[in-house]
Amino acid sequence: MPEPSSRRALGGPGVALVVVYALLALAATGRSLVQIFTEFDNAPLAYALSALAAVVYLLATWCLIRGGRWVRVGRWACTFELVGVLVVGAASFLVPEAFPAKTVWSHFGQGYGLVPLVLPVLGLLWFRKVEREAVAAEQVTDSAEQVTDSAEQATHPAEAPVQDDPRPDAPVA
Amino acid sequence: MKEPLTYVVVGLAFLLFLAASYYALRDRLIDDKLLGLAALVELGLLVMLVIGLVGIGNITDTTEKATFVAYLISLPVIPIGTSLLTIKEKSRWAMGSMAIGAFAVAVMVLRLQQIWNAHA
Repeated sequence: MPEPSSRRALGGPGVALVVVYALLALAATGRSLVQIFTEFDNAPLAYALSALAAVVYLLATWCLIRGGRWVRVGRWACTFELVGVLVVGAASFLVPEAFPAKTVWSHFGQGYGLVPLVLPVLGLLWFRKVEREAVAAEQVTDSAEQVTDSAEQATHPAEAPVQDDPRPDAPVA
Repeated sequence: MKEPLTYVVVGLAFLLFLAASYYALRDRLIDDKLLGLAALVELGLLVMLVIGLVGIGNITDTTEKATFVAYLISLPVIPIGTSLLTIKEKSRWAMGSMAIGAFAVAVMVLRLQQIWNAHA
């Protein structure tokens, strides 16, 4: 089955974005597992944040790969990451005693070459691009096929025999 | 970790980084030469994985030990992942991804050696 062109997040620069995201997800997951299993009591807040960050990075990586309906989830994940890195980054400077241990987001992600600060912005820009292209593609499809509502098709099944896949963005299994 | 092996692997990974970057810039796609280089990096990482797991007892600090194992196990995943990507997705961006992955491998291997030196 050929890849549906609309709302496909992976492709072009998206590939590089996925790899960087996957690497960061790997780093964050590894670090948080190590921290939680060896010294959770030392800094529960910092380590819980690390784990949360890791999960969100994994989620964003998944959304980038799948595209389609995951684009919306991906935008939330990226927004969350951006807010997280800004809030935790600022907090780690203002109230350092609350963050005795490093997290991915401490000091705006300095320990990771500021990648955690830049990545959500790139992610959001990329998802916006994907979404816009999808909307443009859907408008073309809509004007070509006036009837798109699946409920209408259900009431007149004989009228739309060829439209077996009304949603081009349906996820590829 | 045997230091010479570390430097060989770091050297190979850096070479892969440069080559993949060059390919990405010139818009050239993956070929046997580059895949061979990636395979050499992978081989080195697997040898490090075995040596590292055998000598894991030398590292006494739990946190350091956990980090060490996490690095050891994640490292071999990277060249395989990026290589598959360059084969599946024929674009300069996939080549760029291979370059990013290779750079990450070089950095992570150096960090591995750092932990090892501090304890063995």
